Amino acid sequence: MTGSGQVTTGPLPIGQFAQLVKRTVAHDPLFRNQALKGEVTQWKQYASGHTYFSLRDEDGQMSAVIWKGKCSIDPSIKEGSEVVVIATLDLYVKRGNIQLVVQRIEPVNVLGELEKAKRQLIEKLSQEGELDRVRHRIPAVPKHIAIVTGAGSAALSDMHRLIDNRWPGMRRTVIGVLVQGPKAPQQIVRGLAATRALTNVEVANQRGEPPVDLVIVGRGGGSPEDLWAFNLEPVARAILASPVPVVSAVGHESDVLVSDLVADLRASTPSDAIERVVPSRNEIEFLLDEMDERLKVASRRQLIDCRQKITVLHSRLRVAPLAGLNRAKGEMMRMASRIERATRQTLNTQSNILARCEASLAAVHPQRVLERGYSMTQTAEGSVLSSVDGLQTGQDIVLHFADGSADAQIIKTQKVEGTK
Amino acid sequence: MSEEKPTYTEAALRLEAIVSTLERGGMGLDETLKLYEEGAELLKLCKSELAEAEGKLNELQLDEIESELQSEKQ
Repeated sequence: MTGSGQVTTGPLPIGQFAQLVKRTVAHDPLFRNQALKGEVTQWKQYASGHTYFSLRDEDGQMSAVIWKGKCSIDPSIKEGSEVVVIATLDLYVKRGNIQLVVQRIEPVNVLGELEKAKRQLIEKLSQEGELDRVRHRIPAVPKHIAIVTGAGSAALSDMHRLIDNRWPGMRRTVIGVLVQGPKAPQQIVRGLAATRALTNVEVANQRGEPPVDLVIVGRGGGSPEDLWAFNLEPVARAILASPVPVVSAVGHESDVLVSDLVADLRASTPSDAIERVVPSRNEIEFLLDEMDERLKVASRRQLIDCRQKITVLHSRLRVAPLAGLNRAKGEMMRMASRIERATRQTLNTQSNILARCEASLAAVHPQRVLERGYSMTQTAEGSVLSSVDGLQTGQDIVLHFADGSADAQIIKTQKVEGTK
Repeated sequence: MSEEKPTYTEAALRLEAIVSTLERGGMGLDETLKLYEEGAELLKLCKSELAEAEGKLNELQLDEIESELQSEKQ
């Protein structure tokens, strides 16, 4: 138990111990900005402006204080009212009293009213088509992030830490605003208006930085009450008016806020927002190196492919004339055999015709006639004699037989009556 | 700011497409060289974009930024 960092040997003075308790309590997030509900008892508003009361239910109770002017008090709150408070636990060291320092108090029925207004707003935005508008694309590598959130808040230091882990020195502009209480909605709207100005190229040039290309608006977790600003129409409209993507980064788990519905990206917490929009520089550099390598390897392989193709073409070109010749030779041989076949067929036909002619000719050949016992007579000069006309007595003639010839002389002629 | 420079996202997408095309193969020499050159150019651009993301950390209260913007306007 040396939380103070000092080693003590003897008993601890009670005041120091009380301080220690106070510090321990103050460091525990469970005791900060906690939403609590209960019934108001011993409600006392003092002339000093401070209000003291107790918050109780059937299981227990605690003292509470509302410092003067720290929050507006609904006039309907009185002894016995059911309320929701946002409070931070504190130890009043002088008296050793543990008390709740209240930042906000609302009668329970007010929450019901707010819920109704929220539903009406969602309905209205939905009818205007704002809920399914085309969202802005989150830049892969934001060059200038604007963060609208509570100045000095735990949420903000979480975001800084995460950004610097992922991308050391990433450019960002934080606009510190109140994120709860009655002034919060207006401050958030003004903060978003400032980011809008920073997206302007001329303004950015003047400031010597790139224009804002991503906006994160949000805060750490809290009760529905704490987060209520993010359910209000002016904040929703300011988000919708942004020319660059807006991330709604309000720490909460189950309930959806109107800012979540209209933003370009909904993150469950401010840290979640950073994880989703700030890339890891190492990862990106690794990816780019990998891309570099792939580009080189693929190009080299492609060039080798091209060279191989050229080599193949070259060798095909060299054998191309031979292939052509071979094709021509084959063609010629096919042609030759066709011609031969055709000729042979023609010749066959011709010789058949000839054979038939020969046969019919043979039947009437003189030799055949002579063989049958006839003879042929010719003058000595060789003319064939077929008539007695003109024959002279004593004229030499030649008689032809099948097997030879005989010279003879005309002794007498006599013409058969009635022949020409 | 140079005019109509592709954003990091656009450049990265185009680069991915180029690398996939080259990896699929089947294009001619001219196209290969052209794609390689474009890819190398995009890589250079992406790397320079990374450097541009680094910068100052401004932390301002709402009133401060508002008065800064107001005075810049004049």
